Amino acid sequence: MLVRQFSISSLVFLLIFLIQESVINQLRLPGGGFSLPLLIALTWAALSTPTVGALTGFISGFFMDLSQSSNGAMGHWTLLMILACYAVAFLGFGNDNVRGNPITNILLVSSASVLTLVAFVVTGVLLGVSFGNFGRVLVTILGNAIWAILVTPLILPLVTRLHRALFGNQAHI
Amino acid sequence: MRYGGEGRSRLLLIILIVTSLFLITLDLRGVKILDGVRSGTQNVLSPFQKAGSTVVSPFRDFLGDVTHLGRTRNEIEKLKADNARLRSKLLERKSADAQLSQLKSVLDLAGRASYKVLAARVISHGSSTSFTQTITIDAGTSSGVRQNMTVISGEGLVGVVKESYSDSALIMLATDPDFKVGVRIAGTQQIGILSGSGSKRAELQLLDNQKIVKVGDVLLARGSTNNRPFVPGIPVGVISAVDNSAGSIAQSATVMLYPNFSALGVVSVVLSAGKNNPGDALVPAAPQPTTVPTVTIFATPSPSASTK
Repeated sequence: MLVRQFSISSLVFLLIFLIQESVINQLRLPGGGFSLPLLIALTWAALSTPTVGALTGFISGFFMDLSQSSNGAMGHWTLLMILACYAVAFLGFGNDNVRGNPITNILLVSSASVLTLVAFVVTGVLLGVSFGNFGRVLVTILGNAIWAILVTPLILPLVTRLHRALFGNQAHI
Repeated sequence: MRYGGEGRSRLLLIILIVTSLFLITLDLRGVKILDGVRSGTQNVLSPFQKAGSTVVSPFRDFLGDVTHLGRTRNEIEKLKADNARLRSKLLERKSADAQLSQLKSVLDLAGRASYKVLAARVISHGSSTSFTQTITIDAGTSSGVRQNMTVISGEGLVGVVKESYSDSALIMLATDPDFKVGVRIAGTQQIGILSGSGSKRAELQLLDNQKIVKVGDVLLARGSTNNRPFVPGIPVGVISAVDNSAGSIAQSATVMLYPNFSALGVVSVVLSAGKNNPGDALVPAAPQPTTVPTVTIFATPSPSASTK
């Protein structure tokens, strides 16, 4: 069962990765834009069990590492996304406040997105990656937070439906 | 954990984390296979990015106008009068004209320095959420583009080829925090190192304190051995602020880079440089001051008014 879900999830996240690289990155959105794989993976994880959450994080993180614009080491995003998605799934699974309330879900995903980016910067600095000046990093993270709050409500219904189709009647938002 | 199969779940989590740590270790040790995976992915992505660039172009221009609303208010007011079809056509035309203008200026710059260049279209901008400053162009190894070649626009140095694939190449922009280039102040032999800082303002560290630099000094690329990664003489930027802190070993300055990195549509890769160093020949002309007409009014009191 898990293998089938893993395969279908991989295809879904491959498509999301393609959309990010060929459409969203081209738009040059103000404030640094947003990462669709990051937001969808976190939303997906919030509706899943911790096991599926960790697997989701692995798949999406691996695709994010494959992006040419990623300046971290290969596996950097993978590690952070496993931990972030596991944490979100752990907090969200079985909690009706998260699963039954879209606002809580949006806030959880948005704050997790910001924390993941902060963790990426901090661990990146430890691994010797250059991120430029502090102000720019701050603007990118704040911009990402605003975009996350705007975009998550738009993707939530779609992700919920897709998740329900794949994993059965687990999500009820 | 509130979910059954706790042991299995933990084992899976540990396996996934160990796998990612394994990937990080391999990458940091410079294992080639991971570079191959990224290169392969870029080769697969390249056609999608080209198609995406074409489709998204009108929306991107529209978003750009919205972002620079203050600057383009008059233009927007004028465009408001047009209907949707004309607006769409106008945006498409505007995009093509901008690319043509960029191509003309870059070929002009390359021609003056006798550089052999290859023009390429920008097909993707790197995601800002990755904290890098990169672009992808639609020319690669099949067109002669190789790693560590200089990339220029009509205004000056844009960056350097970081990776090249069969039909595309990844360019590290001069604004990237990892970017460094040896520069010379035009008209002197004073040299320094320019580092990207994530924005259009770069940081210059001069190698000696013999000569005082001043705001407005133009910086040119010094050039590298065999002209890779940098050909000599390319305009890089102009000094916008000088840090003259007492006690500093070497002077430092803030430099405003020439190219408009947010509007790059067409760039050129320098395939080979001429035999002669162009020296200061590529220094951009200083902007001409706009002549403001002076109106002098002579008022002569009328005789009738003075007699009253």
